[in-house]
Amino acid sequence: MLQLIADGLVVGSVVSLGAVGLTMTYAILRFANFAHGELLAWGAYLALSMLGILLAIGGAERMVPLSPFSFGWELVVAALVACVGAAAIALVLDKLLFSRLRHGAAITLVIASFGAALALRNLLQFLWGPIPTYYSRELQIAIPLVPRDVLGGMRITPDQLLVLALAAATVVGLHLFLTRTTLGKAMRATALNPQLARVAGVDVDGVIRATWIIGAVLATIAGVLAGLTVQLRPQLGFDLLLPLFAAAILGGIGNVYGAVLGGLIVGLAESLAVPLIGAEYRAAVSFLVIIAILLVRPQGLLGERT
Amino acid sequence: MSALAVEGLIAGYEPDLPIVREASLAVAPGEILAVLGPNGAGKSTLIKAIAGLVRVYGGRVLLEGEEITNAPAHTMVRRGLAFVPQTENVFANLSIAENLDLAAAIVKAPRARVGALYDLFPDLARQRRLAAGRLSGGQRQMLAVARALVVAPRVLMLDEPSAGLSPKLVGQVFEKLLEIRASGVTIVLVEQNVKAALAIADRGVILVEGKERVMGEAQSLMDDPAVAELYLGRSGRHAGEGA
Repeated sequence: MLQLIADGLVVGSVVSLGAVGLTMTYAILRFANFAHGELLAWGAYLALSMLGILLAIGGAERMVPLSPFSFGWELVVAALVACVGAAAIALVLDKLLFSRLRHGAAITLVIASFGAALALRNLLQFLWGPIPTYYSRELQIAIPLVPRDVLGGMRITPDQLLVLALAAATVVGLHLFLTRTTLGKAMRATALNPQLARVAGVDVDGVIRATWIIGAVLATIAGVLAGLTVQLRPQLGFDLLLPLFAAAILGGIGNVYGAVLGGLIVGLAESLAVPLIGAEYRAAVSFLVIIAILLVRPQGLLGERT
Repeated sequence: MSALAVEGLIAGYEPDLPIVREASLAVAPGEILAVLGPNGAGKSTLIKAIAGLVRVYGGRVLLEGEEITNAPAHTMVRRGLAFVPQTENVFANLSIAENLDLAAAIVKAPRARVGALYDLFPDLARQRRLAAGRLSGGQRQMLAVARALVVAPRVLMLDEPSAGLSPKLVGQVFEKLLEIRASGVTIVLVEQNVKAALAIADRGVILVEGKERVMGEAQSLMDDPAVAELYLGRSGRHAGEGA
């Protein structure tokens, strides 16, 4: 039981990071971006390529792990570069596609994002191939946190602990950013009323660019963490898309804190459902969460009724 | 030189269907100009076009002699032109302090300026941590005006600040406008509440079908029954009884 909770929180942390970007895009740009999952996958694979380049430059075959983790400093640098790459992809996508459709109906943007997701996913598979891979094949020894005789016990690897810590730190950082910085307040203002934001002197186009960059950076972090704790595969973004939407809708679409809460709940629900329905059907839990929240509380847990 | 001038302005949401049709007006520095007219005359569209929110298809807008026609709306505050929309004019999800701090940060205004505004609007100072969405209509209007003043504008435009307010609150808001004018700010006031607007304005302009039809001293417009009957939709005797 405790182990399922720990596993759920790790999965939920990754989902939360992805869902925050998704919900921010919705809040500022007012459309559900189905290509957001692909930003996770691209961020993860860009980090993989950068990792390969760094290892080649250093003449090493594999990373020397930063004990107690399974990865070396090369992955940290690769992830940072991947953040820049994913942000660039998001900005180019906005410039070439979404900005041209912004003044039309929201459904046009949604359909366009479907198309963008398909293109990005297939391009990724074309470039990196369909075979799943890993950043590191180092084996990690899980740390026993709770003895086995207490609710089945709890063991967790240092990498998984890092995922939890990074997700928590990112959420705290995001909170401080949104409440203490001018850009953060400008983003909240733009989410509420873009026209008034313009009148108040906010460069709304700049806010939109910042939203894409932050969303892509969070997606990359989520993608790299997913790759680190599970594996890298071209369907990574597609597989996470449903949990991301479930988290964003559960928390209240457009609400950053709701997305974090929703992500953790979706992660826990998926994990706790495994003994009941089997691992192969865990993705269905996200779907059930979406249906349940839309029926019971359509505005989400932290969303306001409109 | 006029603080704000509009010359032959054509503006609207569709190029073939302009709402403002070759309108011209000029506002002297330190003056309060009331822009009046019947519903659908294009008053709000006119000041939105000046503020960069509605596309201008012809003519030009000059702020202290500098052309600002179709300049992006977000650049206006830095140029010294502030605008208070009629509705949804505060960020309801931000606190009073955050509304003012955001406006101050955008133009890098000194902290003392926000402090001075709290002195001008003590009601806001007392509840600065309160979300703007929880304020009453009058308090919201005060916050909207305060937010616009943070940027120390030389010209302040307001779109129907009396809308939805009780007569007592209208009086309070308009008293503040007189205080603001006394500090040297030029004010353009779009209003349906004719009597209240002309009572504080120096001059008035009556817009009909997107073009100015009558301009004059506020008092002379108030006293002119023909103007009231023809352009304000009511007899001179009742001209002052707001919309």
